Amino acid sequence: MVVLISFVRKGNAPMRDKTHQAPSDPCGKGFFHAWRALLTILALIAVGCSAPAAVTPRPTVAPSLAPTVAPTLAPTAASVDFPITLTDDEGTQLTLSEEPDSIVSLTPATTELVFALGAGDRLKGGTDFDDFPPEAVGLPDVATFTGVLIEKVVDIDPDLVIAGGNNFTSAADIDRLRGLGLTVMVIYAPTVAAVLDDIQLVGDAIGASAEAQAMTAAMESRIDEVSGAVASLAKPRVFYEIGNEPEIFGPAPDSFVANMVELAGGDAVTTTDPAVFSIPLERLVSEDPEVIVLGDAAYGVCPDNVLSRPGWSSITAVRDGDVRPVDDIVVTRPGPRLGEGLAALALTIHPEAEIAAPTAGAQLCTSAPAASPSP
Amino acid sequence: VSVRAATTTAAHARPVWLERVRHRPALLLALGVVGLLATVVAGVVFGSVTIPVGDTLAVLANRLLGWPLDRSIPETTQTIVVELRLPRVLTAMAVGTALSLAGATFQGLLRNPLADPYVLGTASGAALGAAIAVLLPIQVALLGLGLLHLFAFVGAIAAVAVVYRMSRLGALSSLTSVLLTGYAIGSLLAAGLAMTMYVAGSNLRQIFFYLLGSFSLASWPQLAMALPIIVFGSILIFSRARSLNALLLGEETATHLGIDVRRDRLILLAGATLVTAASVAVSGLIGFVGLVVPHLVRLVVGPNARLVLPLSATFGAAFLGLADVVARAPGELPVGVVTALLGAPFFLYLLRHYRTGYEL
Repeated sequence: MVVLISFVRKGNAPMRDKTHQAPSDPCGKGFFHAWRALLTILALIAVGCSAPAAVTPRPTVAPSLAPTVAPTLAPTAASVDFPITLTDDEGTQLTLSEEPDSIVSLTPATTELVFALGAGDRLKGGTDFDDFPPEAVGLPDVATFTGVLIEKVVDIDPDLVIAGGNNFTSAADIDRLRGLGLTVMVIYAPTVAAVLDDIQLVGDAIGASAEAQAMTAAMESRIDEVSGAVASLAKPRVFYEIGNEPEIFGPAPDSFVANMVELAGGDAVTTTDPAVFSIPLERLVSEDPEVIVLGDAAYGVCPDNVLSRPGWSSITAVRDGDVRPVDDIVVTRPGPRLGEGLAALALTIHPEAEIAAPTAGAQLCTSAPAASPSP
Repeated sequence: VSVRAATTTAAHARPVWLERVRHRPALLLALGVVGLLATVVAGVVFGSVTIPVGDTLAVLANRLLGWPLDRSIPETTQTIVVELRLPRVLTAMAVGTALSLAGATFQGLLRNPLADPYVLGTASGAALGAAIAVLLPIQVALLGLGLLHLFAFVGAIAAVAVVYRMSRLGALSSLTSVLLTGYAIGSLLAAGLAMTMYVAGSNLRQIFFYLLGSFSLASWPQLAMALPIIVFGSILIFSRARSLNALLLGEETATHLGIDVRRDRLILLAGATLVTAASVAVSGLIGFVGLVVPHLVRLVVGPNARLVLPLSATFGAAFLGLADVVARAPGELPVGVVTALLGAPFFLYLLRHYRTGYEL
């Protein structure tokens, strides 16, 4: 009998954010005994399944030790020769004997990335929540909120599977795929700087090193531009609302979102603990944010809704009307549009900053406010 | 036992087909076996990838019976049929058997129609064990079995062991106290589970899906670990079918009938706990099957455990196997949803049309 013991980033993951976990609505799918129903409710409350924010998958989130770090480019050879051996973000070594002809992506961020690196035609399977670029929507769905459709992946028989770390793709699914002989690369970026490293890693794996290098260089200069533009401005206290049902959800300390807020020239109002994602209204009121950014704007929450929330009127941002929407997907998805997402976030926090308008992300809440969220 | 007299008066209300099969348990068993075979075929033919039925059957015949492949079939198709679908349908059937047997046993043992395999804290124990395993920073892989399966198994057995010790089920104790002890221990463990989930952070999803129950990750090594335990536990239960009948009359009567109540109760409890623990370890928590399949069988053939046990085992296997096939159709629906959606209306139909005086 072979006993294999490995230490992996599991329960002690330095950074967790549950908001990425619930891309679709698992609510109401159960038939349980009474106690199980209770547990289900607990689980859903904890996941925030009915919170609008939970609709968006966000694979990456982790603490940044140096929020203002200027990401550095990994020096890479102009071209990478296959076979190549790479180490993924969970420390697993994988060898690709030749440039992968067929690729399966199990996160929307990596789907977007593979397309942006010009290898979209080699992508044979994606997730049911891929939404960008438009071509990605039509990809066969091999991953859903409930897990990976192993059978479909085996049927595609890809040369490379790109999965999300920190439980975005469940460890059991990754083990199963590897057990069936597939090459699985796990991607997980806890910080903005790590996203750039991941782009290079994916580029190397799919034979697009040069494209990845150009992309990270452009993103780096965009990030520098944004950081430079907001450096001289006062840092307002910023609350980035991830969701508001059934509780108010915001960034945990040192999380990816908090990292983005800091880079965009804000002082992030966070929850009390890296493992906690809901923030009591009491704490929000006492932290008194000067700007509230509505990451849940994509799900129908607009400034008008916030201004009328009971108990919120004493918050400076609400009193002064500094409650603004942002397209959450470009801000929190660790993909090729992150530089533009940072620009969008910086302009949301500092509308006066001299930053070129972002080329990605939707304008939200521009017309009549969407349906108001339930109480 | 008192059911027969009560029901003859209501005989005219029964549908004819039910009346016909009622006195022919052998026919029912044969029907069940046909159902099992149909389930295996359905389980390998249907899935998220469409594979021609001919190809599927050819692969099966090749692997199981050694028939040569008469056409070229892609390697991926063979992997899907042999490594994914076959262990999956067999695991679902094994778990269906286990839960139905355990349900029938607990219902008889506790003389309580609401007893199910999880009644003495198995579910909460297994769930807490699984949740703790998810949170531990180490990962042990033993032939495809993770720490989660091991902890779930141990948790289920530990919960029942504690209930057994605390309620002194071995003596001629009151069944009410056993049930309430089980409920109390279960609640305590459920609170521990809720606490674990609260601190689980990004691991919450894993725990959540364990609680929903699924066969989507079934594999040969898992089945190879669970099946011997389920078979052993089932043999224990079958060997005490006579005692189960006697216990329905009450402990005192059973003693007068020459049954060693203390010993046989322990054997039945051990068997039912083993099969339940093995099931929850491989598939998570799946409700409804263990509660309702034994009742369905009793509604048709009456309360004799010697008929109820084999028929529950057979129909439980077919029912859960088919429910899992249905669950795959729209992607991956939790199988517990399907068992209830399919089973509850049928159960209600039988309850309404068949017997008026139904008791355990």
